[in-house]
Amino acid sequence: MNNGLSEIQHFIATVPPFNELSEKMIVKLSQTINISYLRQENLLHKNQTEAMLYIVRTGALAHFNDQNELQEKYGEGDICALFCYQNSNVKHKSANVKVEEDCLLYSISCQQLQLIFTDQPQILDFILRSGSKRLSNKMTQLNEEAVLSSSLMNTPLTSFYKSPVASITADKNIQQAAIKMTELGFSCLIVLADKNTLNERPIGIVTDKDIRQRCVAQGLSFNNVISDIMTRDMTTIDCECSAYDALISMTTQHIHHLPVTKNNQLVGMVTVTDLMNQEGLNAVNFASIIHKANSVDELASISKMLPKLQIRMAKLGSTADHVGKTISAITMAFTIRLIKMAEKKLGQAPVSYAWLAAGSQARQEQFAHSDQDNALIISDKMQPQHQSWFTDLAHFVSDGLAACGFIYCPGNVMATNTKWRQPQSVWQHYFSQWVTVPEPKALMHASIFFDLNTIYGDESLLQQIRTKMLVETKSNTLFLAHLSKNALQLKPPLGFFRDFVLTQNGNNEASLDLKHNGIAPIVDLARIYALAEGVSAVNTIERIKQVAGSPSLTKSSAANLIDAFEFLGLLRSSHQAKQLQAGTQPDNYLHPKEISRLEREHLKDAFKVVKTLQKARQVVY
Amino acid sequence: MGMFNRLLSSYVGFFGSINAKRQRLYNNAPKGALKDFLAVPFPQPSTPFEQVPILAVDFETTGLNAVNDKLLSVGYVNMQNKQIKLGQSYHQVINTGQKLKTDNVLIHRITDAQQAQGEPLETVVENLLQALAGKVMLVHFARIERQFLQQACLELYGLAPVFPIIDTLALAKRRLDKRDIAYDPSELRLANLRTHYHLPNHFAHNALNDAVATAELLLAQLSDQHQEKTPLKALLF
Repeated sequence: MNNGLSEIQHFIATVPPFNELSEKMIVKLSQTINISYLRQENLLHKNQTEAMLYIVRTGALAHFNDQNELQEKYGEGDICALFCYQNSNVKHKSANVKVEEDCLLYSISCQQLQLIFTDQPQILDFILRSGSKRLSNKMTQLNEEAVLSSSLMNTPLTSFYKSPVASITADKNIQQAAIKMTELGFSCLIVLADKNTLNERPIGIVTDKDIRQRCVAQGLSFNNVISDIMTRDMTTIDCECSAYDALISMTTQHIHHLPVTKNNQLVGMVTVTDLMNQEGLNAVNFASIIHKANSVDELASISKMLPKLQIRMAKLGSTADHVGKTISAITMAFTIRLIKMAEKKLGQAPVSYAWLAAGSQARQEQFAHSDQDNALIISDKMQPQHQSWFTDLAHFVSDGLAACGFIYCPGNVMATNTKWRQPQSVWQHYFSQWVTVPEPKALMHASIFFDLNTIYGDESLLQQIRTKMLVETKSNTLFLAHLSKNALQLKPPLGFFRDFVLTQNGNNEASLDLKHNGIAPIVDLARIYALAEGVSAVNTIERIKQVAGSPSLTKSSAANLIDAFEFLGLLRSSHQAKQLQAGTQPDNYLHPKEISRLEREHLKDAFKVVKTLQKARQVVY
Repeated sequence: MGMFNRLLSSYVGFFGSINAKRQRLYNNAPKGALKDFLAVPFPQPSTPFEQVPILAVDFETTGLNAVNDKLLSVGYVNMQNKQIKLGQSYHQVINTGQKLKTDNVLIHRITDAQQAQGEPLETVVENLLQALAGKVMLVHFARIERQFLQQACLELYGLAPVFPIIDTLALAKRRLDKRDIAYDPSELRLANLRTHYHLPNHFAHNALNDAVATAELLLAQLSDQHQEKTPLKALLF
């Protein structure tokens, strides 16, 4: 871009969606720009009949609604598309945009934009589409990337298998094979056709298991030739296949070793373990090692790998839903293992009970190192002398979880608290109380305990309470109104202004609290919808999906809300992964500088979705 | 515009006289680009600034002396209704036929190789005169552009034209002088004035880039003083 407009072109090339354009297109675009200078207090787009796109070069603009409430601010490098519409015949309601600081503005007529981008409709789409549509496109793209970046799909088997393969010729006897396996420390050998044949054609495979089952157990002499016990017609895989193909082949056929061939010649071997190592720590082998642990100390050392798993998942582009479900499943495995250890120590439970998770773990939206929220429902058959057994259980498990990095709940919502370790009838009473007398503290408890999940024990205890509770909440509009009012106090910001977060009252803040100003408002909305519609799901996405199309939430709003939730979750997951990797305590405070301009646009879109639905809720009650 | 009106306007004040000069020069000019340029009347002196058609111009030269030094490149951009129109802009390097001095190359960054690819002076001046006809030239520090364009026309057509000029440096100086406080002359540099008005940094010494930078400065200067309705005559250099 070595011409007189290079600076303007460099600037334009940093502004989404134009940052995707080729140099040639940037040059073309720059030639459609008109530059103007607007002084403070002036109105943008005044006396202008043509549809225009504005880009702020310096200065600031502020958009107000009819009630003169601040809607958005635009600083250097922001585009303002409020006056850019596709159909110039349609009369558009004029937006009220004031110049807040003297502005050097670039304007481009929308007609010109349409001409330039006839072959790149995605650019116009970005500008003209509503925020929710834009967000949905982004999420589709991210989800596709998550699938593609799954490491096994991308890794060719060539960079994978071990070579050379331990092999033995078919004329050797079983003992010779066993000696070779012992020397090499291998659990399997490939059996090759006789030396006389020219090529090393694999004709079978022999494993530890074959020697055990087909030789020793059958009383077969180990002087027999190996071909007597080998598995013929073994499955092989061509080295051109992907690691994913190999995994599928092994899991469907329940085999652990897979010989790799090239032009039908044996070149190597791949094992399930190799694939697991490539995939890294995954939830499945995590759960299995937790299951095998025999002491709290062992569990504590296993738990140290949890942040690594979260980092890895974030790097692979896993959705926040996937990360949350995985971490929650692992926390559940830790809890169950601890309860079993306690039962071993304390003896059989005197009466039936259920260990419950509350909050994010119950919703399966937990991230590494969150605090523990739990409770105990005990059968009404409990006698006073049984108290101590449950007290001991609660302390053992809670202390164990703390040793594994799940800090004690600061609000004392734990089974160790007598209040939350009660017989079923008491719990039933709690819920009725919360629903019928919705005072502030009750509402706070409600929002914790309406997200409950049985981790271990008798599931019917919670189910019975929930069924009764949902009948009550569904018909109790006063309760729902109070819950809504309470939930709507957490508001997402308007967006960003320069490198600050712009709050709804026009303040600039240094960082965005992803949890309280983004994720929690959606979780709260989903809970209200679920209680209003009598839906028993606890997971936020599940709740939204189940209420979609009900009087509480339209299908399209539900889709928008899920996109917003997923996007916010993804940002949180990558933000925390960075912190975990740097060895710092993960938090929810995102600094605008950490994210790209494009991500800021998508965040603004997400905020708008939440804001719209919060407003709708305000109207209903 | 009728002949009577044209005559009438040519007697109104200083600006009237520049149009009269233009008319006299037109009568003497040889047929061609210069005569075509002189045929179009300049805007009326009473025209409010926002309605004046403006061409922001910048030259890169081999030195400061219009007689001995050469024009190296020309950049311009049109401005109308307080809008700088990048779609109506131009940048051209001129082939002077001479080798460039090293110390100078460091300023304008035009190399001998780029120069060799350039257009002849006549083509570039013709293009400029055509774009400038009927408009007011906008420059920062008028002396260079005025003298070099007049000198080039003298060489090419045997006649030096007149043209109305708005000079952002002169406007700034007038403003600073009025304050009656001593100031550092460096405050009048294009880059420093732009900083004063919070305009973005720009890569100086490319003719088109400087022309755009000057046009932006004028918009900022005039919005600052609420001078959008100011009659042209109050702004002229």
